[in-house]
Amino acid sequence: MVKTEGSFAVEDMKNVQINIGAVIKEEDEWDQEMGPYPKPQVATLRDWDFKIVNRYRIFYAPADDTCTLCTFGPCDLTGNKRGACGIDQAGTCGKIVLVAVLMGTCAHTAHGRHLYHWCLDKFGDMPFDMGSDILVKAPLTESIIGIRPKTLKDFGPVLSYCEEEITQLLASCHSGQEGSYIDFESKALHSGMIDSLGKEICDMLQTVAYDMPRGDPEAPLVEIGMGTMDQSKACLIAYGHNLAAGAEAMFYTENNNLWDKVDIGGVCCTAIDLTRIAEGLGNTDIPKMIGTKAKVAGAVGWWRKMVRAGIMDAVMVDEQCVWCDVVRDCEPRKIPVIATNDKIMYGLVDRTNDPVDEIVSDLVEFRVAGVVVLDPIKAGEVAVKTALQVKPKRADIKDKLVLTEEEFKKFLDTCTKCRQCTYVCPPHIRISNLIEEAIKGNLEPFSSTYEVCVGCGRCEQACPQDIPILKLYEYANRDYIANQKFKMRAGRGPVRDTEIRAVGMPIVMGTIPGVIALVGCSNYPNGTKECYDIAKEFADRGYIVVATGCMAMDMSLYTDEDGKTIWEQYPGGFDGRNVCNIGSCVSNAHIHGAAIKVATIFARRNHRANYDDIADYILSKVGACGVAWGAYSQKAASIATGVNRVGCPVVVQPSSVIYRRAFLGRTDVPEDWKVIDARDGSLVQIEPAPEHMLYVAETKEEAMLMMAKLCFRPSDNSIGRMIKLTHYCDISKKYFGKLPDDWPIFVRHASELPIADKEPMMRELEEKHGWKIDWKAKKIVEGPIRPADVSFDPTNLPRKIRAKKK
Amino acid sequence: MAEEIQLDISPMYEGERIRKDDLWVELGGPKADGFELSLAASMDEVEDGKVTIVGPDLGTVPEGSTVPFGMVFKVAGPLIEKDLESIIERRNHALLSAISGFMHLNQRYDIWMRVGKGLKKKGVTSWEQIFKPVTVLYKNEMPFIEKMEVTVYTDPAAVKEELAKAREVYKVRDDRAKGLHDDDVEVFYGCTLCQAFAPTSACCVTPDRPSLCGAISWFDGRAAAKVDPEGPQFAIPKEGLIDEIAGEYESINSMAEQRSGGEYSRMALYTFFDAPHTSCGCFETVGFYMPEVDGIGIVDRDFKGATPNGLPFSTMAGQTGGGKQIVGFLGMGILYYFSTKFLQADGGWRRIVWMPKALKERVKEGISEEMFAKIATEEDVSDLDGLKKFLLKAGHPVVDGVVRTVDSKKITEGWKFEDIDDDIKEKVIAYIEKTGGDIDTEKMIEELVMSEGQFMQVIEALQEDGVL
Repeated sequence: MVKTEGSFAVEDMKNVQINIGAVIKEEDEWDQEMGPYPKPQVATLRDWDFKIVNRYRIFYAPADDTCTLCTFGPCDLTGNKRGACGIDQAGTCGKIVLVAVLMGTCAHTAHGRHLYHWCLDKFGDMPFDMGSDILVKAPLTESIIGIRPKTLKDFGPVLSYCEEEITQLLASCHSGQEGSYIDFESKALHSGMIDSLGKEICDMLQTVAYDMPRGDPEAPLVEIGMGTMDQSKACLIAYGHNLAAGAEAMFYTENNNLWDKVDIGGVCCTAIDLTRIAEGLGNTDIPKMIGTKAKVAGAVGWWRKMVRAGIMDAVMVDEQCVWCDVVRDCEPRKIPVIATNDKIMYGLVDRTNDPVDEIVSDLVEFRVAGVVVLDPIKAGEVAVKTALQVKPKRADIKDKLVLTEEEFKKFLDTCTKCRQCTYVCPPHIRISNLIEEAIKGNLEPFSSTYEVCVGCGRCEQACPQDIPILKLYEYANRDYIANQKFKMRAGRGPVRDTEIRAVGMPIVMGTIPGVIALVGCSNYPNGTKECYDIAKEFADRGYIVVATGCMAMDMSLYTDEDGKTIWEQYPGGFDGRNVCNIGSCVSNAHIHGAAIKVATIFARRNHRANYDDIADYILSKVGACGVAWGAYSQKAASIATGVNRVGCPVVVQPSSVIYRRAFLGRTDVPEDWKVIDARDGSLVQIEPAPEHMLYVAETKEEAMLMMAKLCFRPSDNSIGRMIKLTHYCDISKKYFGKLPDDWPIFVRHASELPIADKEPMMRELEEKHGWKIDWKAKKIVEGPIRPADVSFDPTNLPRKIRAKKK
Repeated sequence: MAEEIQLDISPMYEGERIRKDDLWVELGGPKADGFELSLAASMDEVEDGKVTIVGPDLGTVPEGSTVPFGMVFKVAGPLIEKDLESIIERRNHALLSAISGFMHLNQRYDIWMRVGKGLKKKGVTSWEQIFKPVTVLYKNEMPFIEKMEVTVYTDPAAVKEELAKAREVYKVRDDRAKGLHDDDVEVFYGCTLCQAFAPTSACCVTPDRPSLCGAISWFDGRAAAKVDPEGPQFAIPKEGLIDEIAGEYESINSMAEQRSGGEYSRMALYTFFDAPHTSCGCFETVGFYMPEVDGIGIVDRDFKGATPNGLPFSTMAGQTGGGKQIVGFLGMGILYYFSTKFLQADGGWRRIVWMPKALKERVKEGISEEMFAKIATEEDVSDLDGLKKFLLKAGHPVVDGVVRTVDSKKITEGWKFEDIDDDIKEKVIAYIEKTGGDIDTEKMIEELVMSEGQFMQVIEALQEDGVL
C-alpha cells in the first residue's frame, strides 16, 4: 500500500479522515459499531448475572428470620414457611440486599445529579476533556450507554437512564412483586452496575468542572490528619461527600485573601475532592493548585474524635457519609453547623434566601445551633465568615473541651467495671481494663486502642455512670491528636491508557502479579493501620495497588522508619510497586474503567454497549481483586456489587456479614467450573479461578491470603500463574506458617511452581496427591485439572466463540 | 563446608533496599570493582552446587565495609550452549534480590550488591550459604541447567584479573549479538505469552526483529523454548521463503494462522504495509503512516504531545493493538530500531520522517548516518505543513522517491499532485512572474512548499494548458 493520494481512510478508523495539509476531523459518529446492549434494562443482562450467581452460589445468613416490611408482618419465615405475600426467607434476604444496594446506588447517583445541575449552573457547559493520554474517556458510560460524551451536558441522558433503572428496581421491592432470590440478586447486580455508572458521572463532572488531575501519577501531596488544622486560625470543616459548598468556601477565602486567617479541612470524601481542585490541565479560571491549600482532617471514622478534640470552629455538612447527630455533637461545643445540601437538613431552618450577615450573626451569637443554606456560594461565604467571627467567642469553650487531669481522674474513679461498654463496642475494646490501667497511671492502652475505636459513641450511651468515654480517649491522646500530621497523595483520577499499555508487558511476563483495589469505609475490624498493612504488603510484592476514599485517607496515617507515609514510600502510578490514590469513593468508577481499558487495549474488544462481553473478559483474564476492609454503608454494598457485576471479586471485612450475603464458589462441585474455549466452542474444566466473588474474611491475614488467591484467572499464562501462586503460598507461609491446603488445584505445569520450593512441592504432589512426575525432565506428567495452554481463550458467553475466518 | 541456613526467599524482596544502617557488607558498586558472569561449560567441567571462594569469606569481612566482588556461575546441561549465557546471567538480579537481606542492582561489571545485617543475625558466615541456594533457584527456574557451580572472588587482585577476563567475554557476546542476523540462523521463535490478554496475538521473534514489547529477544525465545518446547515460546523453522525483502516465510505464515485462530494468515517481518506483524498492546512505540508525506512517523509512550498529524500516542496506539493487523499502524520495540532489517521492504530509515527528540537520541546508533539529520522532531515541526517544509529542505528521500537500500529499487515515486487545481497553478504562475523565470530551486521549495518534481508537474500542466 503505497499511496500518495490526498484523502486516506484508515482501516478500522472509519470516522477519521486524514486530509492533505489539514489534520483530522473527528465526526460525530463513533467508529465502533453500537454493541448489543445499549442502556440495558432490568432484564437485559440477566443471563450474565445468572452466570455469576450459578457459579458463585449465593450464601445468606439472615439477621432476622421474619419479614416486617408490610403490615401483614412480622411474618415468620423459619422452616420453609412463607410470608403473607408468599415470599420465602431467601427471597426476603435478596430483597433486603437489593434495597441496601439501591440505597448506595441512589446516594452516588443523586450526588451526580446534584453536581450535574450545579456544575452547569456555575460553569456552564464545558467540553469533556480528559487530556491527551486518555482515549477511552468514560469507560462505563461507553460500555453501558453506548455513547461518548462530548460535553458535560451529554451526561444528562446518562443520569436519566440511571434514575429510570433505579425506579424500576425499587418498584420490584414492593410487597407482592419480585419473589425469587436469584432475581433479586440479578437486580442487585444491575443496581451495582448503575452505581458504578453514577460514580463515573459524578467524578467526570467534577474532574472537568473543577479541573482535577486527569490520571496524574505525580498529583501533589496534601496534608492529612487532625493535627494539620492550624489552631491559630479559624478552622472550618467541610464534612460529607459533595465538594460544591466546601469549594465555594475555598474560593471565598482565596478571593478575599483570608488564607492566613482561615484553615479549611475536609472530613470524608469531600476532603479528598477539595484537595484535587485545579490540579489538572489548568484550563479553567479556578486559581491553579488551590486544592493543595485545603487539608484532609480525616475519614468519617475520625469525626467524633475530631469534634471532641475541639479542632474546628465551624462545620458545613453536605451529603452522604455524615453522622446524623452532628448538631447534637456540635451544639454543646458551640460549633455552628451549616447544612448545605437538601439531603441533610437536621430540622434546621432554611436560610437560603436570607442575607449572609444576618445568618452569620445568628450563628455567631449562638441564637441557633445551625442553619440550612442550599446555595453553595452563599453557604461558603456564611461558613468562612462564621468561622472567623466565632473563633474568638469560642476561645473559652475550646479550652474546656478536653478534660483536665483532675476531671479525667474523677471519671476514671466512677467506673464500676460493669463492662456494658465492652458489650456494645463494635471492636469489643475492653474499656474498663483501659480505665483500670489509667488509674494506675498507664495511658498506653488508651493510646493503643485509639485507632481501633470507630468513634460510634455506643459506649457512652451504655454507661450507667455516664462516663464520657470518648472524652477520656481525647484526653489520653491529646499529644497524638496535635501531632496527627501526615501526607496524602491527592486523588489522581483515571488510569491513563499509556499506563495500561506500560503494565501490559510486566503483567504478561509475570512481574506484576495483579491489581489490588482498596475501597470502602472506615470501620475496620482492628483499626486503621490494617489498611496501611494490606496496601504495603501488596505493593512490596509488586502488585498494582489502587485506593480510594476512606481507605486512601486512613492508610496515610502511618509512616515507615524513615518517617515516610505510604505515598512517599511508593510512586503514584498504575504500576507494580506503586500505590495510587485514585480519588474519592466516586472515583472507584476509574478502577472499573481501568479493567475495561485492559479489554479494549489488549484484545481490542468493542466495549460500546457491550457490558457483559467486557465483564466476561475481566472475569476470565484480568487478575484484579477488591477489598472493602471497612464496609459499613450501603454505598459499600453497592460498590462491591458493581465490582462483582463487572467480573471482579471482592473481599470484605467481618462486619460486612451484616449484609448477610456472600457469593461463594464451590470447589467441590466440578460442574460449576466449566467454561467455553472461544477458539472452538468446546467446554473446558477449569481450576476455580477466581474462586469466590464476595468473600467475608475474619482477619487482615485471611483477607490478604484470599486476595492473592482471587487474582488467579483461567487465562493466566504459566509465568503469570507462577508469580501468583508464589505470592499466594508465600502469604500463607508468612502469616499461617504453612502452605495453603488447596495450592495443588492451581498448578497446571511444573513451571508454575514457586521456584524457591519447587522440588519439595513437586514431591508433595507426587506423594500426597498421587500426581505423576517425570523427575528426570522435572515435568508433571499427570495430575492437574487441565494442562497449561496459553492460547486457551476462556469465555462464559457462547457468542464469543470464534468462527474460523476463511 | 558451612552449615546450611534456611534463607527467606520470595519475590517480594526484589524491591528491598538495604540502607546504611542495615548494611553488613557492600559489594562492588561505585566504590569497588565488581562483576557477574555466567559461563556455559561441559557436564564434566561442573560440580553441581559447589561454591569456591577466592579471597576472604563473608564472616571475616568487617561490618560496614565495601569490598571488590566477582561471581562466576558455570552452568552445564545437554541443552546448554554459549548463546544462553547472557540469558542465564540476566536472571541474577531477580534471583539474588529474592533473598531477604540481599540487594542486587545493575548488571555485568556495574553490579552493586549489599548484604544486610539481617543475614548475619540469621547466622550466615559464608558465601556458600548464600550461593548454594541460588544454584537451586536457577535449576528450578531453568530446568535445562543440570549443574551449576559458583566461584566467588573477593581477593582484590583476583577480582581485577577475573574482571578483565569477563570484559572480554562481554565483548565477544555483544559482537555476536550485534553480528547475528536472520540470515545466520535456521530457526526463529514464536511467542504467544500475550494471548492471556490478547487472544489472537502471535509474535515472531528473530535476531533482526526483536519483540515489540521489548521483553523478548531471539536469545530469550531460544532459552524459553528449551525450557519448554510446547510452551508459549516455541521454535519456528525458517522455511518456505516467499519474499526475502519483506521477510515473509511459509512457516511464519502458518504459525500466524494457527496461533491466531485464523484471525490472519500472513505475517511479514520487515514491512509496514502488506501483512505487517501484529501488535498486542504493550508495544513500546508505534509507527504511523502519513500519506501526506508518504512517510512513516514513530512515537513512543513517553511522548506527551501531538505528532505532526495532530494525533497523540494514545489515539494511534488505540488503533494499533489487540492482536490485529492494522495497515498504517505498527507496534514496534525499541530494539528493532537497531536492526539492519528495520522495515527494509519499505525503505527502512529512508522512509522515517518524524520521531520525538528523546526517542531519536535514544536510538541514535541505530539510525543510518545519512538519515539522522533528515528526520524531524517536535522541535523542528509541529504540523504537517511544517513537516513538509522540513522534509523538502532536508532533501528527505520521500520527497523525490525512496530507493531502498536492500536492493536499490525505487519503491516510491516521490511527492506528486494527484490533481493540479487552479489554486496551485496560480501560485506557480505568480511565482514565475515574480522571479522572472529565474527559478532557484531552494527558494522555490521554501516559498511554494512543493518538491521539484511537483513543481515540474505543474509546469507540465501549464504547458499543456498552453499558458506557458
